[in-house]
Amino acid sequence: MLQAAQTSLGYLPADAMRAIAQHLMMPPASVEGVASFYAQFRFNKPGRHRITICTGTACYVRGSGAILGDLQTDLGIPSGQTTADGEVSLESVSCFGACALAPVVVLDDKVLRQQTSDGMKKVLQDIYAEVGPGESCGTCASASEGGGK
Amino acid sequence: MTRLADRAKLEDLRGRLVSAFDADKRRLFVCMGTGCRACGGDEVLDGLEGALKGAGLDEQVEVVKTGCRGFCENGALVTAQPSGTLYCRVGRDDVDDIVAKTVARGEVVEHLVYRAPAGIGVPSGPVVPREKDIPFYRHQQRIVLGMNDRIDPTRIEDYIREGGYAGLAKALFDMEPEGIIDEVSRSGLRGRGGGGFPTGRKWMFCRAAEGDAKYVICNADEGDPGAFMDRSLLEGNPHAVLEGMAIGARAIGARQGYIYIRAEYPLAIERLRIAIEQMRACGLLGDNILGSDFSFDIVIKEGAGAFVCGEETALIASIEGSRGMPTSRPPFPAVKGLYGKPTNINNVETWGNVPHIVNRGAEVYAALGTEDSKGTKIFSLVGQVNNTGLVEVPMGMTLRQLVYEVGGGIKNGRQFKAVQSGGPSGGCLPVEMMHLPIDYESLADAGAIMGSGGLVVMDETTCMVDLARYFVTFTQNESCGKCVPCRLGTQQMRMILDDICEGHGTEESITQLERLGESVRMGSLCGLGQTAPNPVLTTIKYFRDEYLAHVREKRCPAGVCEKLFVATCSNRCPSDVDIPAYLSLIAEGRAEEALRSHMDRNPLPSVCARVCPHPCEMRCRRETMDRPVAIRAVKRFMVDAVDRVEVSVETRPEEERRRVAVIGAGPAGLTAAFYLRRLGHEVTVYEAMPEAGGMLRYGIPSYRLPREELERDIARITDVGVNIVYDTAIGKQLSLSRLRKQYDAVFLGSGAWADATMGVPGEKGAGVASGIEFLKLVEIGQMERLAGNVVIVGGGNTAMDAARTALRLGASSVTVVYRRTREEMPVEPDEVTEALEEGVKFEFLVAPVEILRDRRKSLSGIRLQRMRLGEFDSGGRRRPIPIEDGFVEIPAAHVIRAIGQNPILPRGGPPVSNRGRIVVDQFTLATETEGVFSGGDAVLGPATAIEAIAHGRRAAEAIERYLCPDRAARFPWNAPRTLDTAFDPSAPPANTPRREAPKLDPAMRRNNFVEVELTLSPEQARLEAGRCLRCDFGKLLVSRDEV
Repeated sequence: MLQAAQTSLGYLPADAMRAIAQHLMMPPASVEGVASFYAQFRFNKPGRHRITICTGTACYVRGSGAILGDLQTDLGIPSGQTTADGEVSLESVSCFGACALAPVVVLDDKVLRQQTSDGMKKVLQDIYAEVGPGESCGTCASASEGGGK
Repeated sequence: MTRLADRAKLEDLRGRLVSAFDADKRRLFVCMGTGCRACGGDEVLDGLEGALKGAGLDEQVEVVKTGCRGFCENGALVTAQPSGTLYCRVGRDDVDDIVAKTVARGEVVEHLVYRAPAGIGVPSGPVVPREKDIPFYRHQQRIVLGMNDRIDPTRIEDYIREGGYAGLAKALFDMEPEGIIDEVSRSGLRGRGGGGFPTGRKWMFCRAAEGDAKYVICNADEGDPGAFMDRSLLEGNPHAVLEGMAIGARAIGARQGYIYIRAEYPLAIERLRIAIEQMRACGLLGDNILGSDFSFDIVIKEGAGAFVCGEETALIASIEGSRGMPTSRPPFPAVKGLYGKPTNINNVETWGNVPHIVNRGAEVYAALGTEDSKGTKIFSLVGQVNNTGLVEVPMGMTLRQLVYEVGGGIKNGRQFKAVQSGGPSGGCLPVEMMHLPIDYESLADAGAIMGSGGLVVMDETTCMVDLARYFVTFTQNESCGKCVPCRLGTQQMRMILDDICEGHGTEESITQLERLGESVRMGSLCGLGQTAPNPVLTTIKYFRDEYLAHVREKRCPAGVCEKLFVATCSNRCPSDVDIPAYLSLIAEGRAEEALRSHMDRNPLPSVCARVCPHPCEMRCRRETMDRPVAIRAVKRFMVDAVDRVEVSVETRPEEERRRVAVIGAGPAGLTAAFYLRRLGHEVTVYEAMPEAGGMLRYGIPSYRLPREELERDIARITDVGVNIVYDTAIGKQLSLSRLRKQYDAVFLGSGAWADATMGVPGEKGAGVASGIEFLKLVEIGQMERLAGNVVIVGGGNTAMDAARTALRLGASSVTVVYRRTREEMPVEPDEVTEALEEGVKFEFLVAPVEILRDRRKSLSGIRLQRMRLGEFDSGGRRRPIPIEDGFVEIPAAHVIRAIGQNPILPRGGPPVSNRGRIVVDQFTLATETEGVFSGGDAVLGPATAIEAIAHGRRAAEAIERYLCPDRAARFPWNAPRTLDTAFDPSAPPANTPRREAPKLDPAMRRNNFVEVELTLSPEQARLEAGRCLRCDFGKLLVSRDEV
């Protein structure tokens, strides 16, 4: 039920969980207890684009930790949150199972392989290019100018 | 899809599919696994279909969308049949070539075929067009994964045509349930999810248990980071797993099956849904399957991102809709599982093996593998190997074979460091354990586990302490929280590891980690907690030195823990030279200050500028942009531009001044003397030869290191007041015991001058010389010409030096004979290139068996036996194996051997290891004799100048602490740096390509000893230095002097 709710709403708002609790005649705490146990459930509205970076061993050994750090800096949010303008949410996952393509970053439904910090800067530039200059957050603007080749 | 009402209909369908299948038809198999799709596989598929249509070939040529083939890093993959050619890294633009050449004319498209990747100084290997010849595939036995190559997983007809569901039919109509269980037991199949529990026995327990309903579950919650075997099998051949579950359900008496699959595998979920629907349509799922009395159906349950739900009791709780928290066992799920009923849970791969066992029988299955670990295992071989991907090999293959033969060795020509087996529950194994066969017991005995089959290979760029921290962070996040030791223990372990990686750890931290690890292991209910300490405990066990460097010296040798190093180049330098400092000073034209900075870490800059193998360049971050900075070439410019610099020498008060004796005026001794003198002590160096330099003078020829340059560096040492006494050898004019009485401390830097012999008949006598002796004689002027053919035996630096020197002395030909291949020679690739340019000949894969002499006992030649390369040894090189009756003779007037050197040890000297090297404490370089310290080749065996120099400085600092224990040690060269070069971090990096140092034309080099390498011009040096990315900028370091 929780999975179905998240699939249709994009996340689990508090009302939805309360509704499920009522329907099942369970205390709301039990429902929240189950939901909070699993990493997949989101309690904040996700961004228009979702960037999920793999922090599995193979990806880590090939530098995904550094890429996550750079993404957090460039977007100004920690992993697990959405930017204030609602454009991008950032998540990390322990393993996608595409280890031979490490480091792996998933943008919405697309699996991007052998990523680098510079590659991700370009991805962010492309996202914000769609949005338009007035709405981008300050950090990305400087990232797009200062990045290396 | 028609319903198959009985077995005959199934066989009938199969028969029709087989006879309709034209094996000779041209087909293109395009991999549609997640990995290849991420490499653009979808576009390739579209492109191929379009191109075939365009060429009018779409009727004659079939395009098959297969599942994951395992060779993921080389995606997108396309195989052409019937030729069996595998194309790698196929892009949208290659599609036309494939259709026009391969499909239409049967030709191979060269640039798409596999070739072994290039290493450092090693060109890429030969092309291997046929899939089954590629080393990655050749050593595999793809029993479970094999069908992935040939079938479309969304078409049940493909699976049936290949023999699918014959096993189920056999199980339903030819066997009794107990008989099925017996077959599985005798096969020796053990749980492939990691537990390794005998599958047949588990089924037996479940069958015997009481219950009005029974369940079978497939654990597809593959959560180990680095493992994707189950995903590949489910995406590429889901029917194998489903058939296995049906057979198992029949054997146990279950009517309902569940597949618990992690939500992060959407494609696998989709393939399973399609497969299940097709099975239902055929009547292979549901009531009265194939007309028997067996009814069975399967439900898919998605996970929600919790690693612990891979544990069977947690998994069951999750299916039931609760928090995934494990429960204690007994009762085991086989007796009381899902909804309280007897439940049999097996891993995806385990289920995938079942149809084979039923079809081929237990004996055939058990013919593969070892005594206790039967069959094959699918591993995900990832990390720093050349061929990353999924491999299926028989149990019992050694780790070494897997990493080197199948995996193709370490990427970029680096050195193997460790392999992590078993994910976060597993352990890290070092090079010494690589001989282990891969089976359940061997890995467990070593402290690791097989786990689900994840094998992550690491090289020198991985810090083992940081890796342990990474794994504990993972398990700590995924801990369900039920058991206090796991919940809090993993957190404490992580905090201690954080401290260590940030420079606040002590040796007590390591002891605490070990104790905590034991507590967590013993006090946890489920496998997650019980195995969480494994990565920490194995890294402490096998890589303790790395932990000690972090806590004692606040140093991260791998250059990973950010707070413990400034720049990866300096960190990699054995002597920690501040490279960004001198590069940025050169870029501003301040060469004198640059040299002064350099002298604070390495007082022999002219030498190193010419002969150092520059490990710094191998870790230069600029490589991520274009190519590393030519650090050594810039250093060369610096020393050629500045003659002398002033360095500080302390004036010590009388009571603190000590007297130190140094034995050997080689790089280790000279450096130790230099720094001790700078601390104000009285230093005397005793040198056996008439001049200083050691191996630098008597081992390295002057075309590599001109004597004026060496003299310049020696003058830097004597300038500060070091006294050198020549022609005085330890053991002859001097004794160690006398020195120990006369001096307050002794540093032994006597090098490695004893030459290893070949041990072949005819070796004794005129004409055969030691390489070191030869070079020494040339240096002191006692050998000026060499006539006739010369053969040099060996493949290291001494062999190269001897060969090129022999050429310059007039030898009519010089041939180097080496028992391995060019790629394995332990020398700088440039040395070999330069030697070839000058006319040196090489014979590889030969080893001496006899020195040939004529009737007058004069040397006439050398007889060699041909070798072939066999198994890999612990160093990652293939062992040469003699070829019977494969002999060759080379006529020669001189044979020079350069196959290894050992220290010559003075009588009454400090204890040595069984390799003949002086034993020292790795941090203080103190020997086991009071007051005697040692370093350089005497400790390391034949090594590099920079390592000897690093030892010299380390020993000087340790000797100071030893001599003046009450005074807080303060070393002027370790003072915090005050670098004021300009740098704008937001400016883009300089966009100039790497500049190499120019060389003399080979024609001008052959018959003289003029230096081969030339210097960069000031402008070139400035530009090259300006390429440095200044990784050091703004970094603050935990001070090493606070230790």
